[in-house]
Amino acid sequence: MNHHPKPETLAAYAAGALDEARAIALAAHLAMCVECRRGVADFEAVGGLALEALDGESMSPGALERFWSRAGLQEKAGAAPSFGGDIRIPEALRRHIDGDFDGIAWKPVSKGFSQAVLDAKGYRSGALRLFKIDPGIRMPRHSHGDAEFTLILKGAYEDELGVFGRGDFADLDGEDVHGPRAIGEEPCICLIATSAPLVFRGLFEKIAQRWVGV
Amino acid sequence: MAGAALRLVTNNENAPPSSGDVDTASLIRAVADRGDRAAFARLYGEFAPRVKAFLMRGGLGAVEAEDIAQETMVRVWRKARLFDPAKASVSTWIFAIARNLRIDHLRRRSRPEADIEEREEEADPAPLADEHVDRRARDARIREVFATLPPNQHEVVLMHFYEDEPHSAIAQRLNLPLGTVKSRLRLAFARIKRELEDLS
Ligand SMILES: [Zn+2]
Repeated sequence: MNHHPKPETLAAYAAGALDEARAIALAAHLAMCVECRRGVADFEAVGGLALEALDGESMSPGALERFWSRAGLQEKAGAAPSFGGDIRIPEALRRHIDGDFDGIAWKPVSKGFSQAVLDAKGYRSGALRLFKIDPGIRMPRHSHGDAEFTLILKGAYEDELGVFGRGDFADLDGEDVHGPRAIGEEPCICLIATSAPLVFRGLFEKIAQRWVGV
Repeated sequence: MAGAALRLVTNNENAPPSSGDVDTASLIRAVADRGDRAAFARLYGEFAPRVKAFLMRGGLGAVEAEDIAQETMVRVWRKARLFDPAKASVSTWIFAIARNLRIDHLRRRSRPEADIEEREEEADPAPLADEHVDRRARDARIREVFATLPPNQHEVVLMHFYEDEPHSAIAQRLNLPLGTVKSRLRLAFARIKRELEDLS
């Protein structure tokens, strides 16, 4: 793996500030990358310091007594977080992350290029989709208007930033322009997360918009 | 509020590294080993009001914030046995619990039909094997670096962890252009990462 999320992206994940789609894409990278799990754990530690740094807000009178009765009533509390990124990937997607792509309802977009839109609704909704690009097919050069995460799940592509293979994570700013071309023998399957709604401005974005049908 | 936060962290500078943590970690151990209610009450006094403040800084009302702070502490009580000081400090652990509950709460509020059961299934995922991470050394270094960040970076980093929509909230509160906020955060996070490079 050669391409990883930027530090500020790991920090945003640790702070719980990413939208649903991007949090899922990042969690999927974490599932494959020890180094970035350690990075997220580092920024979670900054979160711990931020919590320590707060002046407490008084609990209402009797809060501790109410706590004890609540704790007594709850036989089973919910999950405690795991560290190095609390990895929360929807079950439906976990299969794809592990490399199983059976049963995906691919929708052809153009020759050698299809997509499947995934559910990423949540508190901060984003757009999450899978792309399948056949070897040799190049997407038009485009930028995104807002940050875009791409995680390669299978195969490889090459663009202005280099070669991206399984597990690699492209952490692109709105200004980054790229035109990835699938390379190798098998189709390149990647997970794309953008915040919603996307704003398309330039010509390339308009082309991409028509292609992708956002 | 930001000023008060800065003062507290500055105080920590003079304390021996993670001295606060040794204390809270042994309180958690007492809870885990023998259900020590007095030890828990001390943890509660330390953390419940901070978690409530954290949630209110993120925009929740006092009632919601207190409810989620209570739930956070229920998990601390119930899951104390799972706390592993080799993986995180007590404040980091509690921060992560509160952060997750905040996201779950906001998600339910914005999408009440979301199935809760799917979330429940994710309970206590098996920790991933991360060999060779010296968490204590990294935490000590992070504490050091964090305390010595330039004040304008220190301030935005704190807010980044409190605010619900950090970039726009910081820009608005500090009356700064969004680009300035982002570049200050970028500098601070890159520095933290850089300062940890020699540690395992
Ligand atoms: Zn990585």
